[in-house]
Amino acid sequence: MPRVLIIEDDVETATEIAACLSAGGYRAEQSFDGKDGLTRALSQRYDALTLDRMLPSLDGLEVVKALREAGSGAPVLMVSALSDVDDRVTGLRAGGDDYLAKPFAPTELLARVEALIRRSQRPAAETLLTVGDLCLDLVKHEAVRRGRRIELLPMEFKLLEFMMSNAGQILSRRMIFEWVWGYYFDPGTNLIDVHVGKLRRKIDTPGLEPLFKTERGVGYMIDAT
Amino acid sequence: MRLSELRRVSTFRLTLLYGVIVAIGMIALLGVIYLQSAVYLTRRVDTILSTEADALVRPAPSDTARRIGEALTLDGDQSNIFALFANDGHWLAGNIRAKPKALEPGGAPVEAAPTADFPAYARLIARRLPTGQVLVVGRDINQLREMRAIIASALVWSGGLTFTIMIALATLLSLAPLRRLSGLKLVSDEIAAGDLKKRLPMSSHNDELDMLAATVNAMMDEIERLLTEVRGVSEIIAHDLRAPLTRVRAQLYRLQQSDSHDSVEMARAVGQIDIVLERFRALMRISELEARHRRAGFAATDLARICREVVELYAPLADATGVRLATGAEQAAVVEADPKLLFEALSNLVDNAIKFAGEGKSVEVSVDGTPQHPVIVVQDDGPGIAASEKSLVLQRLYRGEQVRREPGSGLGLSIVVSIVRLHRFRMNLLDANPGLRVEIDCTSGLTA
Repeated sequence: MPRVLIIEDDVETATEIAACLSAGGYRAEQSFDGKDGLTRALSQRYDALTLDRMLPSLDGLEVVKALREAGSGAPVLMVSALSDVDDRVTGLRAGGDDYLAKPFAPTELLARVEALIRRSQRPAAETLLTVGDLCLDLVKHEAVRRGRRIELLPMEFKLLEFMMSNAGQILSRRMIFEWVWGYYFDPGTNLIDVHVGKLRRKIDTPGLEPLFKTERGVGYMIDAT
Repeated sequence: MRLSELRRVSTFRLTLLYGVIVAIGMIALLGVIYLQSAVYLTRRVDTILSTEADALVRPAPSDTARRIGEALTLDGDQSNIFALFANDGHWLAGNIRAKPKALEPGGAPVEAAPTADFPAYARLIARRLPTGQVLVVGRDINQLREMRAIIASALVWSGGLTFTIMIALATLLSLAPLRRLSGLKLVSDEIAAGDLKKRLPMSSHNDELDMLAATVNAMMDEIERLLTEVRGVSEIIAHDLRAPLTRVRAQLYRLQQSDSHDSVEMARAVGQIDIVLERFRALMRISELEARHRRAGFAATDLARICREVVELYAPLADATGVRLATGAEQAAVVEADPKLLFEALSNLVDNAIKFAGEGKSVEVSVDGTPQHPVIVVQDDGPGIAASEKSLVLQRLYRGEQVRREPGSGLGLSIVVSIVRLHRFRMNLLDANPGLRVEIDCTSGLTA
């Protein structure tokens, strides 16, 4: 069972995160201040960390900096009430791997932690992504399903790459918008749905087993099973 | 008008200060004239006295008594004193019987008050003759004294008059500003009492009071705008958030009563909660943008490129909705701006245009104007918006009737307004006949 350390001084938020991670099949442990969290993160092996920005004794940014300086590569999801784009950039520059603004939906947090853990376990220089009979060659820049080449626009290619890198995992609309387009605002109504839908029609042509799955109210997933 | 009020008016104080300075100057000037003329006249008298004494004594000192008699006979208007006293002070000759006590032979001239012998003020000198007798020569100085008095009274009168005139002038000059001040005070009191529509009166003088009034009025405009916006927020919380929350409560209550786990009903409740959360997110985004005063993210930004990127992002949505989306932005138009925020603003505009134009219509995004004055234009040929709503939608947090029925936070345009305001750009909503034309004038953000 993968272990996740929650460094969060607000007991209620920490409990909520823990409940959400436990439901997702993780062993969640809690730490309520920066120094203690850092000590535990360095002395034990965790698969991922969720880290609050504002903590007693040691600020969240300092924790992640110290962690990276000590050579720890554990993926860190920064969870903070500071939601402005600049705050995200600061958090990510300090060494965080992803940033989630409070208040958040539990499913969103779970999806992001899962994505981080998968990303950290994947070999860095992967050039060929495969989901079922769908192959994406990152070097040749082409997608092939059952030997048939699929024509993709640059953004569609980027979207498919992101989804296949996180195959088997639900991706929220916001996650997709942040990672694929690099924007942090609310894209409104059904913009992402339309993009995913268009890609889905190219990949899941009639007669083939559908790889795209929609999780109502949460997001999308690409999976072979 | 009370005196205490008058005293506080700066015009009054200044005029009074000038008055005092002018009065002091005049008194000093007249004083100098007085002193100079008095000294000159006195000296002249002294010279005459000395000359006359010499004329009496020089030919033969022993003959002085006789010469005195002659001189007195010749003095028709009796304005001179000639007298000779013995060594012991006894009168020997002349028109005064006694020598004034202060008068010393060979000493300084003295002035004597009128006596029975000589009924006028006189200036006198005394000489001791070789015979031991004392010669006294004097002269009527009433004229000299009168002149001194005239100058002295001119001095007092002119000082007093200047001062009085200045007080009158100061009062007169202060009346107009005082009247205007009391007008300003009256309006200020009304504003303080809650009438925020009132503005301070301005005159055509464009003086310092007008400058102050203009500043205060501009401040009042901003305060009124902010208060309207705060009222807008309260309205959103009261209406737009209460409605979905009430529905959720009803749904949850039904679920509780029925004891069934109706997943459709539950999904509906979650959907309602999502609407509430989306509106809160939009509100937070707006307050984030409003709180951002710095321009750290600003850089040279190509408006045409942003237009193309937004169109690329929204092309699939436009296709799915049956709206033709095109961009006419090809030539680079570089301004100083935050590219991410501009992208967000333009996305919201395009999203709205696609949503409200409807199937079969078209939306065009372009950069108009000149390279010096680039203007981003988002134009559709949909139903447009009512003229009465155009100015309202530019206010922060305004939500039109049509918007309320659409999904989403309905605050997209408010976010656009905040971003435009942060850049100090100007946004205009125009009639495209048919449709809506949104223009963002990006002039103020131009790179040098």
